[in-house]
Amino acid sequence: MPSTRDIRRRIKSVKNTRQITKAMELVAASKMKKAQQTAINGLPYANLLADVLASLASRIEETSHPFLVQRPVRTRGILLITTDKGLCGPLNANLFKLVSEIHTPVKYYSIGRKGTQFLARTKRAMVAEFQVHDRVPFAEVKVASEFMIKQYLEGEIDTIEVIYPRFKNTLVQVPTVRPVLPLESLKDFLDQLGKDTGTVRVPHADDREFLFEPGITEVLNALLPFYVDHQIHQIALSAKASEHSARMVAMKTAKDNATELLDDLTLEYNKARQAAITQEILEIAAAQYSAA
Amino acid sequence: MPLTLEIVTPEARVYSQTVDSVVIPTVEGEVGILPGHVPLMTQVGAGELRATKGNVTELLIVGGGFAQVTAEKVSILADSAIEAQRIDVNVVEDAMKRAEDALKGMAHLSQAEVERLEAVVRFSVAQLTVKKKR
Repeated sequence: MPSTRDIRRRIKSVKNTRQITKAMELVAASKMKKAQQTAINGLPYANLLADVLASLASRIEETSHPFLVQRPVRTRGILLITTDKGLCGPLNANLFKLVSEIHTPVKYYSIGRKGTQFLARTKRAMVAEFQVHDRVPFAEVKVASEFMIKQYLEGEIDTIEVIYPRFKNTLVQVPTVRPVLPLESLKDFLDQLGKDTGTVRVPHADDREFLFEPGITEVLNALLPFYVDHQIHQIALSAKASEHSARMVAMKTAKDNATELLDDLTLEYNKARQAAITQEILEIAAAQYSAA
Repeated sequence: MPLTLEIVTPEARVYSQTVDSVVIPTVEGEVGILPGHVPLMTQVGAGELRATKGNVTELLIVGGGFAQVTAEKVSILADSAIEAQRIDVNVVEDAMKRAEDALKGMAHLSQAEVERLEAVVRFSVAQLTVKKKR
């Protein structure tokens, strides 16, 4: 039986842990609220943009723009969005599982230190890593997406895909592989996503060909790169919301566990204390009895 | 046949209603859209957008973006948008002044930052013009 002093020491350390995890939970909760709000507010815009693009891609006759052309895929380009810090449950591990299921030739691009470390550790081909601040400013994500677009146009990679934890709600984050380019693959994914979320996309009844003003090239040149930048930004926002949600849940579990452990330890401590007192009384009684 | 007008910005969905007709400020001038319009994809400039339903015309200011028109739906992806009656002249002038000041020290700004600030100025100017007209 451990001595009361040992138990007291453990109680103290568990209490400290609980205090820290509690503080971290609160911090994550407030960040989560903000991140979730930003991610959710941007959703109608991103969805409409994706919708416009998908219907556009299927209706343009001349597919001269490189973003619209489906090339034979030799090397996939995958952007892996992970967190910078740990302590967020299985969030990153789930993404790594997705990565290790990929066996075709891939070039990786990474946002988030955890992902960078994973790619380096498993010796996968990583081309670049990008730092993105906690607030996920558009300009910083744009650096990553512009770089990938450049590589795509140069033929280094034949697709642009993103692996990220898609934010569903505070408890559920779905590790997702999301195709961004070429746009042909976008439509299938949108249909799939619609099925997942229970919203059925109604195909446009109107199937006449689009008119473009000022001209097809001008519009596409402005719209397509903008779409990619915006889409990847939205994805990064969703990943950030997932991160804070996962961290809050992980910290809440840690706090609950610490509380439970504390209860057990307190019980054990009281038992040990009681046993020591009983023992002492017994000894005194025995001494008195023998003296009499 | 009704026409659904949907205006979204990266921050929020600003407008989503059925209307009878809508006038969009494109980069090449204003375009009037009635239900059954031929599918059209166009770039939107900063300016005023008029949505008419019955004999009520609603005025909105958009700050550049894209518009997709199909027979039954007009989708506008704007950088920014605001309903005319919500414009607060003081706020707008403030925002414009800040953006202009930032632009004066242009040397150390990145390309993307300059573009963003110019968009703010254009949107502000569009809001002020509408406000003065009324």
